[in-house]
Amino acid sequence: MRYIRLYKVFLLQYLKALMQSKVDFFVGLIAFFFTQLAGIVFLYLIFEHIPNLNGWSFEQLLFIYGFAQLPRGIDHLFTDYIWMLAMRMVIRGEFDKYLLRPINPLFQLIAERFQPDAIGEILVGMILVVTSCVKMEIKIGFFNSIVFVVSIVAGAIIYTAIKLFFASIAFWTKDSIGLLQLVYETADFAKYPVSIYDKKVRFILSYIFPFAFVAFYPASYFIGKAKLLTTVGIEVLIAIITITIAYATFNKGLTIYESAGN
Amino acid sequence: MIVVENLTKEFKSFKKYPGFKGTVKGLFTREVVGKKAVDDISFRIGEGEIVGYIGSNGAGKSTTIKMMTGILVPTSGRCVVNGIIPYEKRMENAQQIGAVFGQRTQLWWDLPLTETFSILKEIYNVSDKDFKNRMDFLDQVLNLSEFINNTVRTLSLGQRMRADLGAALLHNPKVLYLDEPTIGLDVVVKENIRLAIKEINKEYKTTVVLTTHDLGDIEELCNRIIIIDAGKKVYDGGLKNIRDTHGYMRIIDIDVKNADQIKDIDFNARFNLLTEDLKVNINGNSISVNFNRNRISASEIASLVMENATVRDMSIKDTDINQIVKKIYKNGVN
Repeated sequence: MRYIRLYKVFLLQYLKALMQSKVDFFVGLIAFFFTQLAGIVFLYLIFEHIPNLNGWSFEQLLFIYGFAQLPRGIDHLFTDYIWMLAMRMVIRGEFDKYLLRPINPLFQLIAERFQPDAIGEILVGMILVVTSCVKMEIKIGFFNSIVFVVSIVAGAIIYTAIKLFFASIAFWTKDSIGLLQLVYETADFAKYPVSIYDKKVRFILSYIFPFAFVAFYPASYFIGKAKLLTTVGIEVLIAIITITIAYATFNKGLTIYESAGN
Repeated sequence: MIVVENLTKEFKSFKKYPGFKGTVKGLFTREVVGKKAVDDISFRIGEGEIVGYIGSNGAGKSTTIKMMTGILVPTSGRCVVNGIIPYEKRMENAQQIGAVFGQRTQLWWDLPLTETFSILKEIYNVSDKDFKNRMDFLDQVLNLSEFINNTVRTLSLGQRMRADLGAALLHNPKVLYLDEPTIGLDVVVKENIRLAIKEINKEYKTTVVLTTHDLGDIEELCNRIIIIDAGKKVYDGGLKNIRDTHGYMRIIDIDVKNADQIKDIDFNARFNLLTEDLKVNINGNSISVNFNRNRISASEIASLVMENATVRDMSIKDTDINQIVKKIYKNGVN
Protein backbone atom coordinates (compact mmCIF):
# COMPACT_ATOMS: atom_id res chain seq x y z
CA MET A 1 0.00 0.00 0.00
CA ARG A 2 2.75 2.37 0.98
CA TYR A 3 4.41 1.72 -2.34
CA ILE A 4 1.28 2.57 -4.28
CA ARG A 5 1.08 5.87 -2.46
CA LEU A 6 4.76 6.47 -3.08
CA TYR A 7 4.36 5.66 -6.73
CA LYS A 8 1.64 8.26 -6.99
CA VAL A 9 3.93 10.80 -5.38
CA PHE A 10 6.75 9.97 -7.79
CA LEU A 11 4.42 9.97 -10.77
CA LEU A 12 2.98 13.33 -9.85
CA GLN A 13 6.42 14.85 -9.48
CA TYR A 14 7.51 13.33 -12.73
CA LEU A 15 4.52 14.76 -14.54
CA LYS A 16 5.20 18.16 -13.04
CA ALA A 17 8.73 18.08 -14.38
CA LEU A 18 7.41 16.87 -17.71
CA MET A 19 4.93 19.71 -18.03
CA GLN A 20 7.87 22.06 -18.00
CA SER A 21 8.79 20.67 -21.39
CA LYS A 22 5.44 20.13 -23.09
CA VAL A 23 6.91 20.21 -26.56
CA ASP A 24 9.17 17.32 -25.70
CA PHE A 25 6.24 15.32 -24.47
CA PHE A 26 4.10 15.76 -27.58
CA VAL A 27 6.96 15.28 -29.99
CA GLY A 28 7.78 12.01 -28.25
CA LEU A 29 4.18 10.88 -28.43
CA ILE A 30 3.78 11.76 -32.10
CA ALA A 31 7.11 10.23 -33.07
CA PHE A 32 6.16 6.96 -31.48
CA PHE A 33 2.79 6.98 -33.14
CA PHE A 34 4.42 7.38 -36.54
CA THR A 35 6.93 4.63 -35.88
CA GLN A 36 4.03 2.34 -35.15
CA LEU A 37 2.17 3.49 -38.21
CA ALA A 38 5.19 2.75 -40.39
CA GLY A 39 5.18 -0.80 -39.07
CA ILE A 40 1.58 -1.31 -40.09
CA VAL A 41 2.05 0.26 -43.50
CA PHE A 42 4.90 -2.19 -44.01
CA LEU A 43 2.53 -5.06 -43.24
CA TYR A 44 -0.04 -3.71 -45.73
CA LEU A 45 2.54 -3.42 -48.48
CA ILE A 46 3.62 -7.02 -48.03
CA PHE A 47 0.09 -8.34 -47.88
CA GLU A 48 -1.02 -6.57 -50.97
CA HIS A 49 1.01 -9.19 -52.81
CA ILE A 50 0.75 -12.15 -50.50
CA PRO A 51 -2.80 -12.56 -49.27
CA ASN A 52 -1.80 -15.12 -46.72
CA LEU A 53 1.37 -15.98 -44.93
CA ASN A 54 1.96 -19.55 -43.97
CA GLY A 55 -1.72 -19.98 -43.26
CA TRP A 56 -2.15 -16.65 -41.50
CA SER A 57 -4.59 -14.14 -42.90
CA PHE A 58 -3.91 -10.44 -42.88
CA GLU A 59 -6.40 -9.80 -40.07
CA GLN A 60 -4.83 -12.47 -37.93
CA LEU A 61 -1.41 -10.96 -38.51
CA LEU A 62 -2.70 -7.54 -37.53
CA PHE A 63 -4.18 -9.00 -34.38
CA ILE A 64 -0.88 -10.60 -33.41
CA TYR A 65 1.01 -7.45 -34.27
CA GLY A 66 -1.37 -5.28 -32.25
CA PHE A 67 -1.51 -7.74 -29.41
CA ALA A 68 2.30 -7.75 -29.20
CA GLN A 69 2.29 -3.97 -28.74
CA LEU A 70 0.21 -4.05 -25.56
CA PRO A 71 2.50 -5.79 -23.04
CA ARG A 72 5.49 -4.13 -24.64
CA GLY A 73 3.84 -0.73 -24.29
CA ILE A 74 2.87 -1.32 -20.68
CA ASP A 75 6.38 -2.45 -19.82
CA HIS A 76 7.76 0.57 -21.65
CA LEU A 77 5.36 2.89 -19.84
CA PHE A 78 6.34 1.83 -16.35
CA THR A 79 9.82 0.33 -16.27
CA ASP A 80 11.74 2.21 -18.93
CA TYR A 81 14.30 3.48 -16.45
CA ILE A 82 15.77 -0.01 -16.06
CA TRP A 83 17.70 0.80 -19.24
CA MET A 84 19.65 3.36 -17.24
CA LEU A 85 20.87 0.64 -14.94
CA ALA A 86 22.40 -1.09 -17.94
CA MET A 87 23.66 2.13 -19.43
CA ARG A 88 25.25 4.18 -16.68
CA MET A 89 23.95 3.69 -13.16
CA VAL A 90 26.61 1.17 -12.21
CA ILE A 91 29.54 2.56 -14.12
CA ARG A 92 28.99 6.06 -12.76
CA GLY A 93 28.07 4.97 -9.27
CA GLU A 94 24.67 6.64 -9.59
CA PHE A 95 23.05 3.64 -8.01
CA ASP A 96 24.32 4.80 -4.61
CA LYS A 97 21.34 7.01 -3.98
CA TYR A 98 18.87 4.14 -4.20
CA LEU A 99 20.76 2.27 -1.52
CA LEU A 100 20.58 5.21 0.85
CA ARG A 101 16.80 5.36 1.05
CA PRO A 102 14.49 3.18 3.07
CA ILE A 103 12.54 1.85 0.12
CA ASN A 104 13.13 -1.02 -2.25
CA PRO A 105 15.89 -0.06 -4.72
CA LEU A 106 14.13 -1.68 -7.68
CA PHE A 107 10.97 0.22 -6.88
CA GLN A 108 12.93 3.47 -6.80
CA LEU A 109 14.57 2.68 -10.11
CA ILE A 110 11.23 2.00 -11.74
CA ALA A 111 9.46 4.93 -10.13
CA GLU A 112 12.14 7.29 -11.37
CA ARG A 113 10.54 7.53 -14.77
CA PHE A 114 7.13 7.20 -16.29
CA GLN A 115 7.38 6.97 -20.08
CA PRO A 116 4.41 8.64 -21.78
CA ASP A 117 5.94 7.91 -25.22
CA ALA A 118 4.62 4.40 -24.70
CA ILE A 119 1.06 5.64 -24.85
CA GLY A 120 1.49 5.77 -28.64
CA GLU A 121 2.44 2.10 -28.67
CA ILE A 122 -0.49 1.11 -26.51
CA LEU A 123 -2.96 3.15 -28.55
CA VAL A 124 -1.85 1.60 -31.82
CA GLY A 125 -2.01 -1.84 -30.23
CA MET A 126 -5.54 -1.26 -29.01
CA ILE A 127 -6.72 0.03 -32.37
CA LEU A 128 -5.23 -2.95 -34.19
CA VAL A 129 -6.65 -5.49 -31.77
CA VAL A 130 -10.13 -3.98 -31.86
CA THR A 131 -10.35 -3.51 -35.64
CA SER A 132 -8.93 -6.96 -36.43
CA CYS A 133 -11.34 -8.53 -33.92
CA VAL A 134 -14.24 -6.82 -35.62
CA LYS A 135 -13.09 -7.92 -39.05
CA MET A 136 -12.54 -11.50 -37.97
CA GLU A 137 -15.81 -11.38 -36.06
CA ILE A 138 -14.16 -12.66 -32.91
CA LYS A 139 -16.41 -12.21 -29.90
CA ILE A 140 -14.56 -11.85 -26.65
CA GLY A 141 -16.78 -12.86 -23.76
CA PHE A 142 -16.39 -12.17 -20.06
CA PHE A 143 -14.06 -15.08 -19.39
CA ASN A 144 -11.82 -14.27 -22.29
CA SER A 145 -11.59 -10.60 -21.42
CA ILE A 146 -10.18 -11.63 -18.05
CA VAL A 147 -7.77 -13.99 -19.81
CA PHE A 148 -6.88 -11.11 -22.10
CA VAL A 149 -5.94 -8.84 -19.19
CA VAL A 150 -4.04 -11.63 -17.42
CA SER A 151 -2.13 -12.40 -20.58
CA ILE A 152 -1.14 -8.79 -21.15
CA VAL A 153 -0.04 -8.32 -17.55
CA ALA A 154 1.96 -11.55 -17.69
CA GLY A 155 3.46 -10.44 -20.99
CA ALA A 156 4.50 -7.10 -19.53
CA ILE A 157 6.10 -8.93 -16.61
CA ILE A 158 8.08 -11.13 -19.00
CA TYR A 159 9.35 -8.06 -20.82
CA THR A 160 10.31 -6.43 -17.54
CA ALA A 161 11.98 -9.60 -16.29
CA ILE A 162 14.11 -10.01 -19.39
CA LYS A 163 15.06 -6.35 -19.28
CA LEU A 164 15.84 -6.50 -15.57
CA PHE A 165 17.91 -9.64 -15.91
CA PHE A 166 20.14 -8.30 -18.65
CA ALA A 167 20.38 -4.86 -17.05
CA SER A 168 21.45 -6.50 -13.77
CA ILE A 169 24.39 -8.07 -15.59
CA ALA A 170 25.78 -4.53 -15.42
CA PHE A 171 26.55 -5.07 -11.74
CA TRP A 172 29.21 -7.54 -12.90
CA THR A 173 30.25 -6.02 -16.19
CA LYS A 174 29.73 -2.33 -15.26
CA ASP A 175 27.52 -1.76 -18.27
CA SER A 176 25.38 -4.12 -20.29
CA ILE A 177 23.59 -1.82 -22.67
CA GLY A 178 24.84 -3.60 -25.80
CA LEU A 179 23.69 -6.95 -24.54
CA LEU A 180 20.34 -5.61 -23.44
CA GLN A 181 19.75 -3.93 -26.79
CA LEU A 182 20.57 -7.13 -28.63
CA VAL A 183 18.13 -9.15 -26.56
CA TYR A 184 15.44 -6.54 -26.66
CA GLU A 185 15.55 -6.32 -30.41
CA THR A 186 14.84 -10.01 -30.76
CA ALA A 187 11.45 -9.09 -29.32
CA ASP A 188 10.60 -7.57 -32.69
CA PHE A 189 10.48 -11.06 -34.18
CA ALA A 190 7.64 -11.88 -31.87
CA LYS A 191 5.33 -9.41 -33.59
CA TYR A 192 4.84 -11.96 -36.36
CA PRO A 193 3.72 -15.57 -36.16
CA VAL A 194 6.70 -17.60 -34.96
CA SER A 195 5.58 -20.50 -37.15
CA ILE A 196 6.97 -18.60 -40.15
CA TYR A 197 10.48 -18.84 -38.74
CA ASP A 198 13.10 -21.53 -38.92
CA LYS A 199 13.17 -24.14 -36.14
CA LYS A 200 16.17 -22.61 -34.34
CA VAL A 201 14.73 -19.10 -34.27
CA ARG A 202 11.44 -20.51 -33.06
CA PHE A 203 13.25 -22.34 -30.25
CA ILE A 204 15.10 -19.20 -29.19
CA LEU A 205 11.95 -17.08 -29.20
CA SER A 206 10.01 -19.64 -27.23
CA TYR A 207 12.45 -20.87 -24.63
CA ILE A 208 15.60 -18.72 -24.47
CA PHE A 209 14.15 -15.23 -24.71
CA PRO A 210 10.49 -16.22 -24.43
CA PHE A 211 9.09 -13.28 -26.34
CA ALA A 212 6.87 -15.60 -28.40
CA PHE A 213 4.91 -16.32 -25.23
CA VAL A 214 4.31 -12.63 -24.79
CA ALA A 215 2.52 -12.16 -28.08
CA PHE A 216 2.24 -14.92 -30.60
CA TYR A 217 1.11 -17.83 -28.43
CA PRO A 218 -1.53 -15.95 -26.41
CA ALA A 219 -2.72 -14.19 -29.56
CA SER A 220 -3.20 -17.51 -31.30
CA TYR A 221 -5.38 -18.59 -28.40
CA PHE A 222 -7.69 -15.65 -28.92
CA ILE A 223 -7.79 -16.25 -32.64
CA GLY A 224 -8.88 -19.75 -31.82
CA LYS A 225 -5.85 -21.57 -33.15
CA ALA A 226 -4.56 -22.93 -29.85
CA LYS A 227 -5.63 -24.08 -26.39
CA LEU A 228 -5.66 -21.86 -23.31
CA LEU A 229 -3.37 -23.95 -21.12
CA THR A 230 -0.56 -24.31 -23.67
CA THR A 231 -0.55 -20.60 -24.44
CA VAL A 232 -1.66 -18.21 -21.71
CA GLY A 233 -1.11 -20.89 -19.08
CA ILE A 234 2.54 -21.30 -20.03
CA GLU A 235 2.87 -17.56 -20.42
CA VAL A 236 1.86 -16.97 -16.80
CA LEU A 237 4.24 -19.69 -15.67
CA ILE A 238 7.08 -18.14 -17.66
CA ALA A 239 6.25 -14.72 -16.21
CA ILE A 240 6.58 -16.07 -12.68
CA ILE A 241 9.82 -17.93 -13.41
CA THR A 242 11.54 -15.13 -15.33
CA ILE A 243 10.67 -12.39 -12.87
CA THR A 244 11.92 -14.54 -9.97
CA ILE A 245 15.22 -15.21 -11.70
CA ALA A 246 15.58 -11.58 -12.74
CA TYR A 247 14.84 -10.21 -9.28
CA ALA A 248 17.22 -12.70 -7.65
CA THR A 249 19.93 -11.65 -10.11
CA PHE A 250 19.26 -8.00 -9.35
CA ASN A 251 19.53 -8.65 -5.61
CA LYS A 252 22.71 -10.64 -6.05
CA GLY A 253 24.05 -7.76 -8.11
CA LEU A 254 23.43 -5.35 -5.23
CA THR A 255 25.81 -7.31 -3.02
CA ILE A 256 28.68 -6.97 -5.46
CA TYR A 257 27.92 -3.41 -6.50
CA GLU A 258 31.16 -1.45 -6.29
CA SER A 259 29.98 2.13 -6.60
CA ALA A 260 32.50 4.55 -8.13
CA GLY A 261 35.23 6.75 -6.76
CA ASN A 262 34.48 10.36 -5.99
CA MET B 1 26.57 3.90 18.10
CA ILE B 2 28.96 2.74 15.41
CA VAL B 3 31.17 -0.31 15.78
CA VAL B 4 33.65 -1.14 13.05
CA GLU B 5 35.66 -4.34 13.41
CA ASN B 6 38.45 -5.49 11.10
CA LEU B 7 36.64 -3.95 8.19
CA THR B 8 38.24 -4.79 4.84
CA LYS B 9 37.19 -4.05 1.29
CA GLU B 10 39.08 -5.46 -1.60
CA PHE B 11 38.32 -4.40 -5.13
CA LYS B 12 39.12 -7.00 -7.72
CA SER B 13 39.97 -6.13 -11.25
CA PHE B 14 41.54 -7.89 -14.17
CA LYS B 15 45.13 -7.09 -14.78
CA LYS B 16 45.61 -4.53 -17.49
CA TYR B 17 48.58 -4.15 -19.75
CA PRO B 18 49.80 -0.89 -21.24
CA GLY B 19 49.19 0.16 -24.83
CA PHE B 20 46.84 -1.15 -27.47
CA LYS B 21 48.63 -4.49 -27.65
CA GLY B 22 48.22 -4.71 -23.91
CA THR B 23 44.50 -4.06 -24.18
CA VAL B 24 44.16 -6.89 -26.65
CA LYS B 25 46.24 -9.13 -24.42
CA GLY B 26 44.02 -8.17 -21.50
CA LEU B 27 41.05 -9.59 -23.36
CA PHE B 28 42.55 -13.04 -23.35
CA THR B 29 44.14 -13.20 -19.92
CA ARG B 30 42.21 -13.31 -16.72
CA GLU B 31 44.75 -12.43 -14.10
CA VAL B 32 42.89 -10.98 -11.15
CA VAL B 33 44.52 -8.24 -9.13
CA GLY B 34 43.05 -7.33 -5.78
CA LYS B 35 43.47 -3.92 -4.25
CA LYS B 36 42.62 -3.40 -0.63
CA ALA B 37 40.92 -0.03 -0.46
CA VAL B 38 40.18 -0.52 3.22
CA ASP B 39 42.46 -2.81 5.16
CA ASP B 40 41.54 -4.19 8.57
CA ILE B 41 40.13 -1.04 10.15
CA SER B 42 38.52 -1.03 13.59
CA PHE B 43 37.05 1.76 15.67
CA ARG B 44 34.05 2.69 17.78
CA ILE B 45 32.10 5.91 17.71
CA GLY B 46 29.80 6.92 20.55
CA GLU B 47 26.47 8.71 20.37
CA GLY B 48 26.69 12.43 19.75
CA GLU B 49 30.35 12.40 18.72
CA ILE B 50 31.59 14.37 15.74
CA VAL B 51 34.44 12.43 14.22
CA GLY B 52 36.66 13.59 11.39
CA TYR B 53 37.60 10.74 9.12
CA ILE B 54 40.54 11.89 7.11
CA GLY B 55 43.25 10.82 4.75
CA SER B 56 44.66 11.77 1.39
CA ASN B 57 42.83 11.09 -1.87
CA GLY B 58 42.34 7.40 -2.45
CA ALA B 59 43.14 6.53 1.17
CA GLY B 60 39.87 4.65 1.53
CA LYS B 61 37.69 7.23 3.27
CA SER B 62 34.75 7.09 0.92
CA THR B 63 34.93 3.32 0.72
CA THR B 64 34.65 3.07 4.51
CA ILE B 65 31.74 5.50 4.56
CA LYS B 66 30.04 3.55 1.79
CA MET B 67 30.28 0.39 3.85
CA MET B 68 28.89 2.18 6.90
CA THR B 69 25.99 3.54 4.87
CA GLY B 70 25.25 0.14 3.36
CA ILE B 71 26.15 0.94 -0.25
CA LEU B 72 29.05 -1.50 -0.31
CA VAL B 73 29.34 -4.93 1.20
CA PRO B 74 32.69 -5.48 2.98
CA THR B 75 35.00 -8.26 1.82
CA SER B 76 35.58 -9.22 5.45
CA GLY B 77 35.10 -7.81 8.92
CA ARG B 78 31.91 -6.11 9.92
CA CYS B 79 30.32 -2.90 10.97
CA VAL B 80 27.25 -2.29 13.08
CA VAL B 81 25.43 1.03 13.16
CA ASN B 82 22.99 1.49 16.00
CA GLY B 83 22.51 -2.27 16.24
CA ILE B 84 21.96 -2.80 12.52
CA ILE B 85 24.36 -4.25 9.99
CA PRO B 86 23.91 -1.66 7.24
CA TYR B 87 24.68 -3.76 4.16
CA GLU B 88 22.41 -6.59 5.32
CA LYS B 89 19.41 -4.49 6.29
CA ARG B 90 19.77 -1.58 3.95
CA MET B 91 16.28 -0.22 4.23
CA GLU B 92 16.19 -0.29 8.03
CA ASN B 93 19.60 1.28 8.11
CA ALA B 94 18.59 3.98 5.65
CA GLN B 95 15.78 5.08 7.92
CA GLN B 96 18.20 5.98 10.70
CA ILE B 97 21.04 7.55 8.78
CA GLY B 98 21.49 10.60 6.64
CA ALA B 99 24.26 11.01 4.11
CA VAL B 100 25.63 13.85 2.05
CA PHE B 101 28.16 13.16 -0.64
CA GLY B 102 29.60 16.54 -1.49
CA GLN B 103 30.26 15.75 -5.11
CA ARG B 104 26.91 14.23 -5.88
CA THR B 105 23.48 15.57 -5.12
CA GLN B 106 20.58 13.47 -3.97
CA LEU B 107 18.00 16.10 -4.79
CA TRP B 108 15.54 15.90 -7.65
CA TRP B 109 17.31 17.84 -10.33
CA ASP B 110 14.33 19.06 -12.35
CA LEU B 111 11.99 19.95 -9.52
CA PRO B 112 11.71 22.89 -7.18
CA LEU B 113 13.42 22.24 -3.87
CA THR B 114 10.13 22.20 -1.94
CA GLU B 115 9.10 19.15 -3.99
CA THR B 116 12.25 17.30 -2.97
CA PHE B 117 11.27 17.79 0.64
CA SER B 118 7.71 16.64 0.12
CA ILE B 119 8.93 13.51 -1.69
CA LEU B 120 11.39 12.81 1.12
CA LYS B 121 8.60 13.27 3.63
CA GLU B 122 6.78 10.38 1.96
CA ILE B 123 9.88 8.25 1.52
CA TYR B 124 10.86 8.49 5.17
CA ASN B 125 7.31 8.44 6.47
CA VAL B 126 7.67 11.68 8.38
CA SER B 127 4.47 12.79 10.10
CA ASP B 128 3.01 16.20 9.28
CA LYS B 129 3.83 17.55 12.70
CA ASP B 130 7.46 16.34 12.64
CA PHE B 131 7.79 17.59 9.11
CA LYS B 132 6.79 21.09 10.10
CA ASN B 133 9.09 21.13 13.12
CA ARG B 134 12.03 19.83 11.13
CA MET B 135 11.49 22.27 8.30
CA ASP B 136 11.34 25.16 10.73
CA PHE B 137 14.53 24.02 12.36
CA LEU B 138 16.31 23.38 9.07
CA ASP B 139 15.22 26.71 7.70
CA GLN B 140 16.58 28.39 10.78
CA VAL B 141 20.02 26.78 10.58
CA LEU B 142 20.39 26.53 6.80
CA ASN B 143 18.24 29.44 5.56
CA LEU B 144 16.49 27.21 3.07
CA SER B 145 13.56 29.58 2.55
CA GLU B 146 15.80 31.88 0.50
CA PHE B 147 15.72 29.45 -2.41
CA ILE B 148 13.20 26.77 -1.53
CA ASN B 149 11.00 27.55 -4.54
CA ASN B 150 13.83 27.42 -7.06
CA THR B 151 14.44 24.45 -9.30
CA VAL B 152 17.33 22.40 -7.97
CA ARG B 153 19.44 22.71 -11.10
CA THR B 154 19.42 26.50 -10.81
CA LEU B 155 20.84 26.51 -7.27
CA SER B 156 24.38 27.68 -6.65
CA LEU B 157 26.81 25.15 -5.22
CA GLY B 158 26.52 26.66 -1.76
CA GLN B 159 22.72 26.60 -1.86
CA ARG B 160 22.72 23.08 -3.20
CA MET B 161 24.97 21.89 -0.42
CA ARG B 162 22.71 23.47 2.20
CA ALA B 163 19.72 21.86 0.49
CA ASP B 164 21.46 18.48 0.41
CA LEU B 165 22.29 18.76 4.08
CA GLY B 166 18.69 19.66 4.83
CA ALA B 167 17.45 16.75 2.77
CA ALA B 168 19.70 14.34 4.67
CA LEU B 169 18.34 15.59 7.99
CA LEU B 170 14.61 15.72 7.36
CA HIS B 171 13.93 12.35 8.97
CA ASN B 172 16.03 13.16 12.03
CA PRO B 173 18.70 10.51 11.49
CA LYS B 174 20.71 9.10 14.37
CA VAL B 175 23.89 9.17 12.32
CA LEU B 176 24.90 11.70 9.71
CA TYR B 177 27.63 10.90 7.20
CA LEU B 178 29.20 13.82 5.44
CA ASP B 179 31.61 13.14 2.63
CA GLU B 180 33.43 16.40 1.92
CA PRO B 181 30.50 18.67 2.76
CA THR B 182 32.43 21.90 2.20
CA ILE B 183 34.25 21.05 -1.01
CA GLY B 184 34.37 23.97 -3.41
CA LEU B 185 32.46 26.34 -1.14
CA ASP B 186 33.40 29.91 -0.28
CA VAL B 187 34.40 30.93 3.23
CA VAL B 188 31.01 32.33 4.25
CA VAL B 189 29.04 29.30 3.12
CA LYS B 190 31.61 26.98 4.70
CA GLU B 191 31.12 28.78 7.97
CA ASN B 192 27.33 28.49 7.69
CA ILE B 193 27.51 24.80 7.00
CA ARG B 194 29.83 24.21 9.93
CA LEU B 195 27.57 26.15 12.28
CA ALA B 196 24.57 24.19 11.05
CA ILE B 197 26.32 20.87 11.67
CA LYS B 198 27.28 22.00 15.16
CA GLU B 199 23.75 23.12 15.88
CA ILE B 200 22.24 19.86 14.69
CA ASN B 201 24.69 17.85 16.74
CA LYS B 202 23.90 19.87 19.85
CA GLU B 203 20.14 19.93 19.40
CA TYR B 204 19.52 16.30 18.45
CA LYS B 205 22.67 14.51 19.64
CA THR B 206 23.20 13.39 16.05
CA THR B 207 26.40 11.39 15.62
CA VAL B 208 28.41 12.87 12.76
CA VAL B 209 31.10 11.19 10.70
CA LEU B 210 32.79 13.61 8.39
CA THR B 211 35.47 13.32 5.75
CA THR B 212 37.22 16.40 4.53
CA HIS B 213 40.44 17.84 3.19
CA ASP B 214 39.79 21.11 4.95
CA LEU B 215 41.62 21.45 8.23
CA GLY B 216 39.22 24.27 9.13
CA ASP B 217 36.26 21.88 9.12
CA ILE B 218 38.07 19.59 11.47
CA GLU B 219 39.29 22.28 13.80
CA GLU B 220 35.86 23.74 14.19
CA LEU B 221 33.81 20.60 14.35
CA CYS B 222 35.64 17.54 15.49
CA ASN B 223 36.85 16.60 18.88
CA ARG B 224 38.22 13.38 17.55
CA ILE B 225 39.83 12.37 14.30
CA ILE B 226 40.64 9.10 12.65
CA ILE B 227 43.32 9.20 10.01
CA ILE B 228 43.75 6.51 7.42
CA ASP B 229 46.37 6.05 4.80
CA ALA B 230 46.47 3.42 2.07
CA GLY B 231 43.46 1.75 3.70
CA LYS B 232 45.02 1.40 7.14
CA LYS B 233 44.22 3.33 10.27
CA VAL B 234 47.23 5.38 11.31
CA TYR B 235 45.78 7.60 14.01
CA ASP B 236 42.73 7.72 16.21
CA GLY B 237 42.45 10.32 18.93
CA GLY B 238 42.06 13.94 19.86
CA LEU B 239 42.66 16.77 17.49
CA LYS B 240 44.68 18.89 19.89
CA ASN B 241 47.35 16.26 20.23
CA ILE B 242 47.82 15.96 16.53
CA ARG B 243 47.94 19.66 15.92
CA ASP B 244 50.50 20.20 18.60
CA THR B 245 52.72 17.44 17.36
CA HIS B 246 52.17 17.75 13.62
CA GLY B 247 50.20 20.79 12.64
CA TYR B 248 52.72 23.40 13.72
CA MET B 249 54.38 24.00 10.37
CA ARG B 250 53.28 27.05 8.41
CA ILE B 251 54.34 28.48 5.12
CA ILE B 252 54.69 32.20 4.55
CA ASP B 253 54.91 33.36 0.95
CA ILE B 254 56.25 36.85 0.32
CA ASP B 255 56.54 38.61 -3.03
CA VAL B 256 59.07 41.42 -3.07
CA LYS B 257 60.23 43.98 -5.63
CA ASN B 258 63.84 42.98 -5.42
CA ALA B 259 65.10 39.97 -3.51
CA ASP B 260 68.83 40.63 -3.89
CA GLN B 261 69.35 41.80 -0.32
CA ILE B 262 67.31 38.97 1.08
CA LYS B 263 69.50 36.42 -0.60
CA ASP B 264 72.43 37.49 1.54
CA ILE B 265 70.63 36.97 4.84
CA ASP B 266 71.15 33.73 6.71
CA PHE B 267 67.73 33.29 8.29
CA ASN B 268 68.72 30.27 10.32
CA ALA B 269 71.68 32.04 11.94
CA ARG B 270 69.68 35.20 12.54
CA PHE B 271 66.93 33.40 14.47
CA ASN B 272 69.18 30.67 15.76
CA LEU B 273 67.00 27.85 14.39
CA LEU B 274 67.75 24.58 12.67
CA THR B 275 66.57 23.97 9.10
CA GLU B 276 63.85 21.59 10.32
CA ASP B 277 62.18 24.53 12.05
CA LEU B 278 62.91 27.19 9.46
CA LYS B 279 63.59 26.78 5.80
CA VAL B 280 63.83 29.53 3.22
CA ASN B 281 63.37 29.14 -0.52
CA ILE B 282 63.99 32.07 -2.82
CA ASN B 283 62.81 31.85 -6.37
CA GLY B 284 63.29 35.06 -8.33
CA ASN B 285 61.38 37.65 -6.37
CA SER B 286 59.22 35.31 -4.38
CA ILE B 287 60.29 34.05 -1.04
CA SER B 288 58.75 31.04 0.59
CA VAL B 289 59.50 30.33 4.22
CA ASN B 290 58.57 27.08 5.91
CA PHE B 291 58.53 27.60 9.65
CA ASN B 292 57.58 26.05 12.95
CA ARG B 293 55.08 28.36 14.56
CA ASN B 294 55.94 27.08 18.03
CA ARG B 295 59.47 28.42 17.59
CA ILE B 296 59.06 31.60 15.64
CA SER B 297 56.19 33.88 14.68
CA ALA B 298 55.23 34.90 11.20
CA SER B 299 55.65 38.56 12.11
CA GLU B 300 59.32 38.09 13.01
CA ILE B 301 60.00 36.63 9.59
CA ALA B 302 57.88 39.21 7.82
CA SER B 303 59.53 42.16 9.56
CA LEU B 304 63.00 40.88 8.72
CA VAL B 305 62.00 40.66 5.08
CA MET B 306 60.37 44.08 5.17
CA GLU B 307 63.50 45.69 6.54
CA ASN B 308 65.41 44.48 3.51
CA ALA B 309 62.97 44.73 0.65
CA THR B 310 59.70 46.27 -0.51
CA VAL B 311 56.95 43.75 0.00
CA ARG B 312 54.35 43.45 -2.73
CA ASP B 313 52.25 40.62 -1.44
CA MET B 314 52.22 38.22 1.45
CA SER B 315 50.25 35.16 2.49
CA ILE B 316 50.39 32.57 5.25
CA LYS B 317 49.34 29.02 4.58
CA ASP B 318 48.30 26.38 7.04
CA THR B 319 49.79 22.95 6.74
CA ASP B 320 47.17 21.02 4.89
CA ILE B 321 45.79 17.79 6.10
CA ASN B 322 47.54 15.74 3.47
CA GLN B 323 50.92 16.87 4.73
CA ILE B 324 50.03 15.95 8.26
CA VAL B 325 48.83 12.57 7.10
CA LYS B 326 52.01 12.06 5.14
CA LYS B 327 54.10 13.01 8.13
CA ILE B 328 52.22 10.72 10.45
CA TYR B 329 52.52 7.89 8.03
CA LYS B 330 56.26 8.36 7.87
CA ASN B 331 56.88 8.80 11.57
CA GLY B 332 53.98 7.16 13.33
CA VAL B 333 52.13 8.80 16.18
CA ASN B 334 53.02 8.16 19.79
